[in-house]
Formats: sequence, C-alpha cells, structure tokens
Amino acid sequence: MATEFKLPEIGENISQGTVTKVLVKIGDTIKKGQNILELETDKAVVEIPSNIEGMVSEVLVQSGKVIKIGQPILRMENSPASTTASSVAPKISTTISAKPETEGVKPSAASTGSGTKPVEIKPIPNGGAVTNMALPALGENLDKGTVTKILVKTGDNVKKGQNILELETDKAVLEVPSPSEGVIKEILIQNGAVIKVSQPIFKMISNSPAVSEPAPEPSPTKPEISKATPTPRPAEEPATVHVGHMPIRKNVAAAPSVRLFARDIGIDIAQVPGTGPGGRISIDDVKKFAKTLNTSRSQTSTNNTIIQQPLPDFSKWGDFRREAMSNVRRKTAQHLSSAWNTVPHVTQCDKADITELEKLRKASSTQHRKLSITSFLIKILAIGLKKFPQFNSSVDMTTNEVIYKDYINVGVAVDTDRGLLVPVLKNVDRLSVIQISDELTAIAERARNRKTSIEELQGGTFTISNLGGIGGSFFTPIVNWPEVAILGVSRGIMEPVYIENQFVPRLMLPLSLSYDHRIIDGADGSRFIRWIVLALEGPSIVEGLSV
Amino acid sequence: MSERIKLVVIGAGPGGYTAAFLAADMGMDVTIIEKETNPGGICLYRGCIPSKAFLHVAKIISEAKHAKNFGIEYGDPKIDLNKVRDWKKGIVNKLTGGLGQLAKARKIKYVQGEASFVDSKTLKVKRMDGSSEELSFDKTILATGSRPTTLPFAPKSPHIWDSTAALEMDTVPQSLLIIGGGYIGMELGTVYHELGSKISVVEMLSSLLPGADRDLADVLTKRVQGMFANIMLETRVLKMEETANGITITFAGKNGKEFKEEYNKVLISIGRKPNSENLGLENTKVKVTPRGFVEIDDQRRTNDENIYAIGDIAGDPMLAHKASHEGRVAVEAIAGHKVAFEPRAIPAVVFTDPEIAWCGLTEGEAQKSGQDIRVVKFSWGASGRALTLDRQDGLTKLIISPQTQRILGVGIVGVGAGEMIAEGVLAIEMGSVANDLKLSIHPHPTLSETMMESAEVFFGTATHIYKAKQK
Repeated sequence: MATEFKLPEIGENISQGTVTKVLVKIGDTIKKGQNILELETDKAVVEIPSNIEGMVSEVLVQSGKVIKIGQPILRMENSPASTTASSVAPKISTTISAKPETEGVKPSAASTGSGTKPVEIKPIPNGGAVTNMALPALGENLDKGTVTKILVKTGDNVKKGQNILELETDKAVLEVPSPSEGVIKEILIQNGAVIKVSQPIFKMISNSPAVSEPAPEPSPTKPEISKATPTPRPAEEPATVHVGHMPIRKNVAAAPSVRLFARDIGIDIAQVPGTGPGGRISIDDVKKFAKTLNTSRSQTSTNNTIIQQPLPDFSKWGDFRREAMSNVRRKTAQHLSSAWNTVPHVTQCDKADITELEKLRKASSTQHRKLSITSFLIKILAIGLKKFPQFNSSVDMTTNEVIYKDYINVGVAVDTDRGLLVPVLKNVDRLSVIQISDELTAIAERARNRKTSIEELQGGTFTISNLGGIGGSFFTPIVNWPEVAILGVSRGIMEPVYIENQFVPRLMLPLSLSYDHRIIDGADGSRFIRWIVLALEGPSIVEGLSV
Repeated sequence: MSERIKLVVIGAGPGGYTAAFLAADMGMDVTIIEKETNPGGICLYRGCIPSKAFLHVAKIISEAKHAKNFGIEYGDPKIDLNKVRDWKKGIVNKLTGGLGQLAKARKIKYVQGEASFVDSKTLKVKRMDGSSEELSFDKTILATGSRPTTLPFAPKSPHIWDSTAALEMDTVPQSLLIIGGGYIGMELGTVYHELGSKISVVEMLSSLLPGADRDLADVLTKRVQGMFANIMLETRVLKMEETANGITITFAGKNGKEFKEEYNKVLISIGRKPNSENLGLENTKVKVTPRGFVEIDDQRRTNDENIYAIGDIAGDPMLAHKASHEGRVAVEAIAGHKVAFEPRAIPAVVFTDPEIAWCGLTEGEAQKSGQDIRVVKFSWGASGRALTLDRQDGLTKLIISPQTQRILGVGIVGVGAGEMIAEGVLAIEMGSVANDLKLSIHPHPTLSETMMESAEVFFGTATHIYKAKQK
C-alpha cells in the first residue's frame, strides 16, 4: 500500500522550512521516529522524524527546497507485515472501483495522537493516475513567487493552458497556466505562500495517463516494481508575464493628471474609491486612499519595515559577489533591526572582581563537570531579577502597560556555524548552579548540533551574551526585544587593583548591561549592575548561591 | 546621473520627432535617423498635411458651387494645377523645414539614412550618401511608421496610384476608381471629385467607413451618393488589366456576377502595413506579430528592454496623434518616469465633407461587448449655426453609462466635426458626467452647442427639441 509522509506540524508560527539534508533514500526501510529530514526554519534547524513505517519508494523533496507543513516528503510502500493499512488495501480498492469519484480514502484508524499522523492512502481511480503538478517555469530569472490567488479548487477539471494560479513575483503579478490537464485532487499550497519553480502545487488525477506519471501501485508481493519512480517533470511552459508596471484598467473615472499622480506614488487607480459624480476620482481621493493604505500597513506590520536606502554600484570599485542570507541570518537581521528601532538603548558598564568566585568555581568543578562563570551569573541573575523586577518585564505601548513576569527564563546567546541562536533556560530560579551548568552544556551542545527545538528558543525574559571566550572588554549588546535588558559579559583578566594601600592582582570581569530606557531609569540600571557586581564579588553573601 | 542617455530615434514622423524633441529637452543625447532631409514623416510629406491642403481646395470649390442655394453664383473655377501643387509643397516645406530648424536648435544629431540593428546595443546606419557606420546606443525608439498596402495582383502601372501618388497630383483623371471605402479613399475621392474627376468607389464590406458608427457614416454616404458616379458596396475586385488609357477592372458584385469597367486611374487605399522589415529586428529580442506590428508593453517598451516602439509600427490605430503621444510616453519611461500609455479616448477624424469624428467607446463596440449604454443624439437640423451654414447634414451623439452617467464615447458627423471632437476627448479623459457637459456654457451660435444639447437630451429636456412627455 502506498502512503505518503507529509511534513508534520513543527511548532508555533512555523509554516515552512528549507530542507538542509535528506537523511533517507529510495529503498530505505523507515521506522517510526527515524529522522527523515533536516529542516532549517526561521528559528532553528530541526530534525523531522517519521510517523509512519515502510520502504521509501519516492523522495519528493530535495536539499535547498522550501517545503510547507502538510507537503508530501516521501512516498512509501508499507512493508507487508508492518501495518494494518496494507492488509485492508484490497478492500479499499474495491470500494474505489465501485465509486470512482472517491479519489482518496483516509483510514479512520490513522488518527492523531501517539505519533501517528493521518496517512493518506492513494489508490488509483478509474481512468487516471495521481500525479503531482509542479509549478512550471515562469520565465527568465523567475524562480519563485508568492501565491496571491488560487484560481481552481479541489475537484475542478483543469485544461492545459487554463490559468490555475496568480503569482506575485519580483517583477509582476502573473497568471500561471496549467502545464497539463486533469482533475485537481488536492491543493498543496496556500495563499501567501512562497513557492518555487518545480515545487509540487497540486495533486491531480490525470486525464491522459500516457503523459502522466502513475502513482506507485500497491503491490505487496513485489515492492521493488514500483520503487524508483522518477519525479514527474511537466512540460515547462513559461507563464505570461505582464511586462509593464501596473495593469491598465480601462474606464476608471479619473482625469489623466489624477491617473499620473496615482501611478507616480504607486497606487493602483482602479482600487481608489471615487467620491465625485459618477464615481470620479479626484487627487484628494487618491491621497486619502494612500493614507489609509499607509496606516493599515503600519498597523499590520510591526516595525518590521526597514527603510533601505539604495545601494551604490559596488562594481565601480571592484568585483564582488552576492550571497543569499540563510534563514537564521535573515531572521536575526529583522529581529535586531526591529529591536534597535523599538528600544531606546542605554549601556552601563562595570567590572566585577571575581577572584573569590573563580576560586569557588574551580573548587566546585570536577573532572566531569566543569562549572562556568556563566552558570554562576545565571544563578545570580535569577536572584537579582526578583529583586529588580523591572528588568524581568516587557513594555506594551499600545496599552501603556508594563508586563511583569513571575517566571525567570534566561536566554543564552550561542555562537553557531550558521549564526546566532539564543536558547532559553527555563525557570532558572528553581535550579541550582550545578543544574544550570548541566542544562547550559546541553543546550549549547544542541544548538551547535542543530538540534535546538523551537520551544527552546522561546519564552526568555532576560538574556546573557558572553563573549569572554573570544576576548575583548565591554561592548554594547542589543536588548533581545520583547525583553528589556541584556547582560554582556567579556573576558575576565588579571588586573592590578589598589586595595589597602597596595596594588594586588585581581581577576576582573567586564560587564555591559544594556536596558530599555523607556521603563528603566539610569539610576536603576546602575543599581542593578552594582548589585550584580557585588553578588559576583561576594558569592558567599548571596543567598542560594551554594553549589 | 552624470552620463547622458544616448537615444537613437529611427524615423522622424510625428511620433519620432515628438519623442526626439522631448528627449533632447530632457537632456538626453539624441540622434535621429531618417530617410528624408527633414523630420515630418508620411504625415507631413505624403499624408495628413498635403491631403488637408487639397481638401481645403475641394471645400472652396464645393462651397462656391453651394452658394447658389442662397443666391450667390460663381462661374466654373479655373484650376491651375501647378499652382495648387506648389501651394501644397510650400506648406510641406515650411512645416518640415521648421521641424529641421527645431531639431538643429535642440542639438539633435540628424542622420539622413537607414538603420538596422546589429544587436540589442548597436545599429548599422547606411547614410543616403552611401557611407555607413555603426552606432551604439543606450535606448532606441522605433518609429518607422507604415506604408500603403497594395493588391497582390495589381500590375505595375502609372495608372495605379497609392495615396502617395494621388497626393503628387500629376493629373486630374477623367475617371478615378477608389478601391477601399476607408478614410483615405473617401478623403482623396472628395478632393478629386471637386477637381472634376468622375469618382467610383468599390468596397468589399457593406458600408463605407467600416469602423465608424453606422448613423455617422450614413450621413456621409448619403452626401457622396449625390456626388460620386458610383458606389459599389459588397463588391470585390478580381482583376486589373492595364490598357492604353488606364486600367480595366473585373468586379464581382453582391450576387457574384462579374462585370468589367475601365478607369483612367485607380487608387488602391485598402489599408497600411507597418514598416517592421529590414530593420534587423531578428538580431534583437524584439517580437513582431504576424501582422508585422512590434509587440510592446504599456510603456511602449518592446521585448528588448533597450528598444521602444511607437506609432504605426506599434499597432492600431495608425494615427499621428496616437504616435506623438506614445513618443512622449516612451521618452518619459526611458527617463525613468512612471508613465503609461493609457488613453481613454483616441480621437479619429475623417476629413471628408461632412467630416466624421469620434472618440472613446463607439456604439458598435458597446454592442459587441454587450456593455450597457444609453445613446443620446442631437440632429443638426435643430442647430441655428448649422442652418446659417446651410449644412444641416450633421449629428452629435453621446454614449453614456446609464449607471454613472459618465460620458463614454462621442460621435459627430457634420462640417467642422474634427475640431469639435476635442471637447469629447477632454470630457471622456476627465471622467465627465452628462451633467458636466449640460452645465458648461457653450458659445452661441456655434456647432459646439450640439454637445451641450445632446447632454440635455439625456435628461429629457433639450431646448431646441420638443419631446412629448411619455406616460
């Protein structure tokens, strides 16, 4: 019985990801829970385990492709002995030949829960085979676009050349004609999704089996027959591209000067409601429309718009290359720009004498468990954030409220080979230094091995960024919005400190505390960092800092 | 931008020279490549302007005859054809020479020659003096225009004219057959009729001026039926044979019956076709339609991003004023302005007597598309001004949206219709409603009042028309 493994839900707000590695190949026998893919999402690289078993007959994704939740990843032949699905298969096909319009049957047994996601069974209906229709070539230099409208629905009989999608590309909105004909069985994309050329967009029951690519036939006795079916490659026909800027709509009641004005400021005149007689559009109508458009835009997009000045022509000064940002990099860029624009930053610096703490740290470390200064710092912060609750808060400017959190989750910035990740240690106030140290080691490990889960990256209330491993002293960390403060830690170095009429060598740790000046005053900032310094300098006096 | 855009305009008709002049005014480095010594193109040398000069001659002759109606009688005119021709030449020279001066004053390089593309960045220019050179450019505007179409079986004969030959006016033939009842044929027919030729017209379709609304064309048809010797509709030309005195034509009439007739001259005016050959377009990414038009977008950019096309070569309607507007759009687009060619109304004028003019939506188009319209008409019989001209053969009509009351189209037939249509163009472009026309005071006594009064008809109360109230 042929089944499909589709990309399951992977976390809140995550609808797609880029395949970084396919871990299985055609012919592999897959067990439940076995990892199938490595997927890079906006937030992390995650491994996708299988929720079904069987032998891989077709791999429907490749490295570098963007795939969406629910999109098929593998076609599998269930091994004869493994599941109930294969034993009921013949029955299902009889039902189908009796009712040819039933194109897919979902076995009720395969429900959610206990790791089993719904598995769709693909029998072959009368007269046609199930194929994936892929997005055809769109034209020169166009390899992807955003779906603005799906022009067909499930069950539609689509003719070759019939428009099936409206796609917004960098250059224009274009209509995509169908490269083949058949009945739409399933729509694999959604409005707003970014899709790429040759990405599957529909499942179709083909009318012309000769051209189409048959779905693997259920053949429990000879599973090797149907394996290694090539990916369907539809005839590549370029879609019609409207070369111009904006489509001209006839008969909009607006004077030529008004139309020119609208075009000049980038407004589609056909969208503007006219207030004049006969619906005539005045310049004021266009201005009003532009204004409402701007307000609605700024309401929906939260400070995400970065005003980009045009770049100079770098080729004037020499050769260069362009490289696409990784998802992590893009997200980091957006997030930090947004934080920088939202939060008025102040950075307060200080140095802590950690000579005593260092002794404690070394004394408490064993061969198997080396405690780090960061672990102590997190423990100190857990206590400090209770004493200074405004550093454990968020700002809601829409309601003019400050949100104080009763939980203390500290994010730790981790440098990985694909960029900055900030996994979060939850409820650190309930953990001992040793527990913190163990967790810290574990999350850093997971981050570097691309194993961080999405949950691990969410819910922080305060962030530590420790650059001490690299060196340098003092920097100005950017607050990890919606948090309100971040502590930057640099490398501790031995310095001569003037104590009781003489210079003595002490291990000094540079600290940089950035905070949101909207709700934290300079005096509070100084008090907080002084408290942290004192806590570091006299670990024994800090309650709960026992190892 | 410190570097000036290097623009080459190929062809200096109304589209090309308008584009070149604007581009120079906007600071571009402009070169015109044109076969003639001065800008002007077909329109000035062999089209609009010379034909209008001759039509003025025809009008004077016609009005002098017409004056008998109200008691003024002249003798038969004495026509000095050389002088008429010289007068026309004078006009053409003055206009084209003036344009040459304007080009020079704008420091436009004027190369007399022909151009063809080597690739998307280079032109090969063959000068009229035989020398040739290669010319690189940033942008090119194709404005090579069109030429008269001929019949494939027409023999090469001095008795067979195209519009160019007819406007040379070497002789006034005793009998002249006009093949094609379109605007060029009708205008030239009017000219030669007044100069004394016996005019016959043959048209394949069922009416003259196909494309114009029937009610407008009918007014003209009625008048020329009284003037021309023969108007043969739904009749085809099968054969043309040169004879000692002219051409013998074999026709196939409505019923398929064949008949023969001899004419001193035959004017073929069955249409025009774009000059898109021999330009080396195959060396560029420019796409050409089966009819020979260059494919363009709403900014007149061809499929090759450095090449623009305007005027007749860029598609119908093949009209000078459409070409010059396109020229401005193309140049502004090249300069990076956000412009588009998006007229709501391109006026069409047939300079016959009476003139026919229309713009925007026609009744015929509305019928074809099934659009809901209301048509209101004002007959010139009720116009004081028309009566003082003794020309009541006129009609003004508005095509109005019943929902929004917007003016969608205007059609006029009558003397001076060509001048009057401009108001209709403005009304449509401005998105005017019927009330705007009705409430704008029009000067009395003029023919333009018929615009206002037809708008009044829309509301059921035109001053000079009484309509019994309907229950």
